[in-house]
Amino acid sequence: MNFIKKIIPMKDFTLKSLMTFEKTPLNILMFILTIGLLGAFGWGVIEYLIHSHHAYNVTREHPWGLLIAMYIFFVVSSTGLCIVGSLGDVFGFKDYMAMSKRAILGSIVTILAGFAVIAFEIGHPVRMLIYNVLSPGLTSAIWWMGTLYGIYLTFMIIEFIFLMRNDMKNARIFGLTGLLVGLAAHSNLGGVFGFLNARTISNGVFYPTYFILTAFITGIYLTYLMYGFRYKMNFPEEIKKGLIGLAKIQTLLLAILMFFETWKMMTGIYGGMPGRADVVEHILHSGGFVYGEVLCGMLIPFVVMLTTKWKSINLYVYASFIGMIGIFFMRYDLVHDTQVKPLQMMKLTEYQLPPKWIEYFPSAAEFAIGFGAIGIFFMLYYFGQKMFDLDGGDH
Amino acid sequence: MANYGMAFDYKLCINCHACEVACKEENGIDLGAKNHRLWIQEETKVSGDFWNLDRDKVEFMQMQCQECQDAPCMAACPNGAIYRDNNGIVRLHKDLCDLTRACMSACPYNARYVDEKNHVTDKCIFCADTRLARGETTTACQITCPAKLRYFGNLDDPESEISKVLSSRKHFTLKPEKKTKPKLFYLE
Ligand code: SF4
Ligand code: SF4
Repeated sequence: MNFIKKIIPMKDFTLKSLMTFEKTPLNILMFILTIGLLGAFGWGVIEYLIHSHHAYNVTREHPWGLLIAMYIFFVVSSTGLCIVGSLGDVFGFKDYMAMSKRAILGSIVTILAGFAVIAFEIGHPVRMLIYNVLSPGLTSAIWWMGTLYGIYLTFMIIEFIFLMRNDMKNARIFGLTGLLVGLAAHSNLGGVFGFLNARTISNGVFYPTYFILTAFITGIYLTYLMYGFRYKMNFPEEIKKGLIGLAKIQTLLLAILMFFETWKMMTGIYGGMPGRADVVEHILHSGGFVYGEVLCGMLIPFVVMLTTKWKSINLYVYASFIGMIGIFFMRYDLVHDTQVKPLQMMKLTEYQLPPKWIEYFPSAAEFAIGFGAIGIFFMLYYFGQKMFDLDGGDH
Repeated sequence: MANYGMAFDYKLCINCHACEVACKEENGIDLGAKNHRLWIQEETKVSGDFWNLDRDKVEFMQMQCQECQDAPCMAACPNGAIYRDNNGIVRLHKDLCDLTRACMSACPYNARYVDEKNHVTDKCIFCADTRLARGETTTACQITCPAKLRYFGNLDDPESEISKVLSSRKHFTLKPEKKTKPKLFYLE
């Protein structure tokens, strides 16, 4: 232990202190929630190990499902927290300095939760690790995404170690490199969808850029939630300053996102391209998009922040919670909408009937593993808080 | 080596599914497994009764891997598991496949499926491991089709039946706008 402490400074803790916490109603609720989610994850994994992919509702026509969406959800969160964490320690914005440690820890634990999900989505995760190195598919966006995320995680851990040692010079070097690699990895994840020549709705430049934008937005939502929980809504001054700044940035980012989305939908519908126009119309009529993405993910937080003129931090914590629900729908819909249109082979008659949409609803095991991984995030974050001094970063 | 391709006189199809059965038998696919390797797609609803089918439009299309010369499945595979063999057939190194199913999402022709027995993705490979490996020059579906609408052979040999039929008849490929350059041709 002393050896580890020499590398990365830690608080003094015992097994007992790790396991005890103040018994406030919120803490108890979080405890029960975490245990429940971890239990669900375990059950889902057992289901998967027994029934393999039959435990999931994915099909040949819809090979990617909720678990891919949740993987994206976690890695987007990670990239977002990395961006927020970099504002202070990489770019030197004073107001955000105090947030770097917590945000970078968050980025590490969210990506670990993401890896936990993807390990049970891919049929042969060990093969993937081996042949990723032995026989790299350089034309594949998935290869670049996976490889760059691996490097990114390493840099994030090194940056975190330097942050804990208050070695800001090195933290900055690794933070910047990690951020650049993370952004490359993340836009490649967008590329996984953007390269899909077969799926007109996703093909193109939109997703690689949209992923970066929504990552930043997700990072800010999560920062609010982490600090809301940390300080039970009684924020110290130096954190308040940072949070107000983030709310301003968030409003701008949400405005840009709404602008992007509007044009995506407009060009989609009025561009009239088969496979895009019809799918966009379908998306606009789906509840997940209207209530989830638009209302929860964008409009409610945007209106709340704009109308309260960036002063009601406590309110923004709740708005961020609603925002995160919207972010989930953004991830889920992006995976589902990509595959929703059947791959028709050819047009034989001039006026075809509208296509039947491919249906997919996640199975219990998919829900258990996908949402259960949130429990992994809670657990790792909790231990992180207990083991490291994440406050007092105002160097 | 050969550069195999296939041509379909698709309008002759009577939707008997003999090709599917033959394929299943040849390649050890479970009976009842839908759309594995090859299938017949009904493009519009059949109308009329048995003796008097309203068939002024073509309804049955033979579907399988289009053997793209610029194959999106190959480009999408993170492990480089998909390759082209020296017969020009798109193949899979089974022990490299990690089942990310990136190839399934990337294929514009819905040609790939998960082989539940071997836990890898699979598709039609022109009977390369069975008939071609034994030195035969036909595929199971082609030899079985009662309408004799399938032409299979070496596209690089001007004397092969398929080359001759392609040079004498108009034909088209599926989804040419995807620029995948398929080696399966549909005869007008
Ligand atoms: S049809 Fe699909 S599976 Fe066959 S080569 Fe083309 S992309 Fe690959
Ligand atoms: S065997 Fe020939 S006629 Fe019968 S379904 Fe297959 S392609 Fe059509």
